[in-house]
Amino acid sequence: MAKGSDGVGELAKKEQRLAYFLLLPTFIILIVIAIYPLGSVLVNSFTNNVFASSEPVEFIGLENYVELLSMTVKKVPAKLDENTGEPLIDPDTGEVQYESSVRVLPREPRRFKPVTTFSVFGSRYVLGASDPSFIRSIWDTIIFSMVTVFLELVLGIIVALIIDVNFPGQGLMRAIILVPWAIPTAVSSQMWAFMLQPNRTGFFNTVLWHLGLGNGEIPFLTDPALQLPSMIVIDVWKTTPFMALLILAGLQLIPKDIYEAANVDGAGAARKFFSLTLPLLRGTIAVALVFRTLDALRVFDLFQIVLGQARYSMASFTYYQLIQNRAMGYSSASSIVIFVVLSIFAVIYMRSLGVTSDEQ
Amino acid sequence: MLWILIVIMAVWMLFPFYWAINSSFKTENQLQMTPTTFVPRNFQGEFAPTMRNYEAVFSNQAFLRAIVNSAIVAVSVTLLSLAIGAFAGFALGKLRYRGKTGTLYLILAMTMFPQIAVLTGLYAIINNLGLQAIPSLIITYLLFSLPFTAWVLTAFFKELPLEIMQSAQVDGASPFQTFYMILLPLTMPALVNTGLLAFIGAWNEYLFALTFTSVEPMARTLPVIIANFPAQFSRQTPFGEIMAAGVVSSIPLIILVFVFQRRIVAGLTAGAVKG
Repeated sequence: MAKGSDGVGELAKKEQRLAYFLLLPTFIILIVIAIYPLGSVLVNSFTNNVFASSEPVEFIGLENYVELLSMTVKKVPAKLDENTGEPLIDPDTGEVQYESSVRVLPREPRRFKPVTTFSVFGSRYVLGASDPSFIRSIWDTIIFSMVTVFLELVLGIIVALIIDVNFPGQGLMRAIILVPWAIPTAVSSQMWAFMLQPNRTGFFNTVLWHLGLGNGEIPFLTDPALQLPSMIVIDVWKTTPFMALLILAGLQLIPKDIYEAANVDGAGAARKFFSLTLPLLRGTIAVALVFRTLDALRVFDLFQIVLGQARYSMASFTYYQLIQNRAMGYSSASSIVIFVVLSIFAVIYMRSLGVTSDEQ
Repeated sequence: MLWILIVIMAVWMLFPFYWAINSSFKTENQLQMTPTTFVPRNFQGEFAPTMRNYEAVFSNQAFLRAIVNSAIVAVSVTLLSLAIGAFAGFALGKLRYRGKTGTLYLILAMTMFPQIAVLTGLYAIINNLGLQAIPSLIITYLLFSLPFTAWVLTAFFKELPLEIMQSAQVDGASPFQTFYMILLPLTMPALVNTGLLAFIGAWNEYLFALTFTSVEPMARTLPVIIANFPAQFSRQTPFGEIMAAGVVSSIPLIILVFVFQRRIVAGLTAGAVKG
């Protein structure tokens, strides 16, 4: 702090008081709507609190987290022929028949239900979890986030490069690509749900049918294999503009004379892109990636509106636990899990951005 | 070649919205036609749009109330976060005080704070205090709009030359007077940029609106109404009306985007690119 004549010290003190006074409203609000609720969520996550129930609230330690996250892998034995002791082979498919995977999963002290089965080195295994919907929602949300963010990045770079070229109507084009971003997610989710109808009243089924693909009745939103790809297509449409605008901002920071030097050297367009543009965009891309990943990991609107309870994202799982089951304690625990996952990404983001201030 | 790419891009971005407009002018029967048509047509194949969905939507009390609710919430959130955020932005960007780095980190961290993490806690507080849904939404929306506004304004204040402040102080103005009479008018462009983003964010918010209005249907905002459209007559999902309602609630935003394209882009990228 300034230590000079008394006048300067007095002035600095005054400035500091003013700063605290101006920051006070922001911090009071953030404490009331973020810090305090987060604390109460953390406390609640160790209880069996059920909203509006007459049961007394008890402290149950880590029980909610154990229930949410318990997983186990068990080997599924083949069905054996009672006489020969050899594995039974399905006569139609020629494949080994296995015992039901539910039977090999433990029931005590907590009951495990199958999430998925997989084969390694010719043996079959089952992944069991005490709450398969939560484990599945984590898995789905992570896959969803990684694929959408990757596709958005590629498409966003392409869109940004096109808009960066000077052409009449550039401003109009920038406004056009903001349209998907600006439309409320609730509206765009309904729009896409209607375009993805499982018959030829839907746009996609009609077009694919005209192209001779599919029977015109592809159940995009009910077939488990097509649900995630459909969500990804919708989200890529909705959020590519944001990515493109960030990258465009980065592109416009690159001094143009760099390219002139490359032109003299006779470098081709592709070479210029990969050896000049892309390395110079690295910082922008890193920020955009983490920003969008954080956003994608907490996806709620799209999943809740289009898929409801057919398939959860981490956030929609938490919402249904709270509103449908009134499970205050349990949904608090899943909130904390989401918070931890996101914080890990956020720390990476802050590191890559590097906060600076002029404080000595 | 460039123009082909530009046209493809524009179609890709606009087509789903065109499809919503197209569907909003179709009757129930036209919506059920297979294969579906690219403009509303009757069974003779003639162009035959209907206004029925728009008439239904504009006579739907729940929808009209939602427009009012959304407007109240979005405008209040915008004004509140600008007022409070400008104070914070000035302190963070221009004043010297102990603990500045910490507060900067905190604000930046808050811009990424996940709403879902405090959903349960806020729901409990609102229920315990018996708060009405609309004021609850206005206050809780500050969770995402305030840190963002403060952060972008901080960057803006930081760039204003220090000399302006010093010369005002030499003239005998207090720091607060300097802020209020000299710096604030200079930040007008930044206030508009961030205000637009705060408005759009609040207008589109769904998670809090859905949760906090679950027992107070009169307070529902547009996204909640559109996602759970109350059917006027018992039949399957009234997609025609939903599309009409969706088009109506997107139009203010699309106007904003076309009028303020430059400012929105500036606000969006300032939040993410500037350190």
